[in-house]
Amino acid sequence: MNVKSFEQDGVAVFHVNGEINISTSPELRKLFEKEQKKKIVIDFEKVTYIDSSGLATLVEVLKRAKTQGGSLGLATMSDKVKSLFEITKLDKLFSIFQNQNDAVNAVK
Amino acid sequence: MKKSITTKEFQVPSVLSEVQKTSERVLSFLKPLVLNEAFLFDIRLCLEEALINAMKYGNQLKKELAVRLKVEYDEDEIRIRVEDQGDGFKPKELQRCTEGDNLLKNSGRGVYLIHQLMDKVVYSPKGNSLLMIKFLKNASSASN
Repeated sequence: MNVKSFEQDGVAVFHVNGEINISTSPELRKLFEKEQKKKIVIDFEKVTYIDSSGLATLVEVLKRAKTQGGSLGLATMSDKVKSLFEITKLDKLFSIFQNQNDAVNAVK
Repeated sequence: MKKSITTKEFQVPSVLSEVQKTSERVLSFLKPLVLNEAFLFDIRLCLEEALINAMKYGNQLKKELAVRLKVEYDEDEIRIRVEDQGDGFKPKELQRCTEGDNLLKNSGRGVYLIHQLMDKVVYSPKGNSLLMIKFLKNASSASN
């Protein structure tokens, strides 16, 4: 897994490439723990796989953002990845968008 | 008529780095079935969730304790059995991860996903062995 980040309209945008799984989710968690910006978008276009540890990591990122008065948007999920959010009802917890621009506009 | 059953067994050390290697071996074993990507994703996810739970909670991540894995298939279904050497798991005691504040919790989704993505899930009476069954209808990549 690798992650590219940049800023768009004051929002920290993270493009995750690869798998968010038991091996890689600790690294992702550390990355977001260091993030200073309160408004975050995570783009899933190149996320090919996610497991329950990956979902748990994202819940932690969301909780942290909310505690700090920030906001988090998830964007560009494949149908399969999105279905896992739906199955676990996490689609009720997260703001999920079709594309990065919609997510940035909602979060900023 | 008797069904033709193809079987493979694995002994997996309880080391998390073995999880993905094992699922790759299992998916390779299932290649003759020519399964579509969505089906393979479900198989991989359920297998890895079961292995992780067996290693972490059953075998306490003790490398010397193996997880026994048996994968078999016939024309109708794939059966995956994961067995650890622990004292057993009581599925009824697991809080439903989709209810109320449990949505924000860190655990429980793995087992829930297994139940949602597999067609049948059976625990041994002791609770240290899990059988997951996925029916093969609509699984072929030719049906995409």
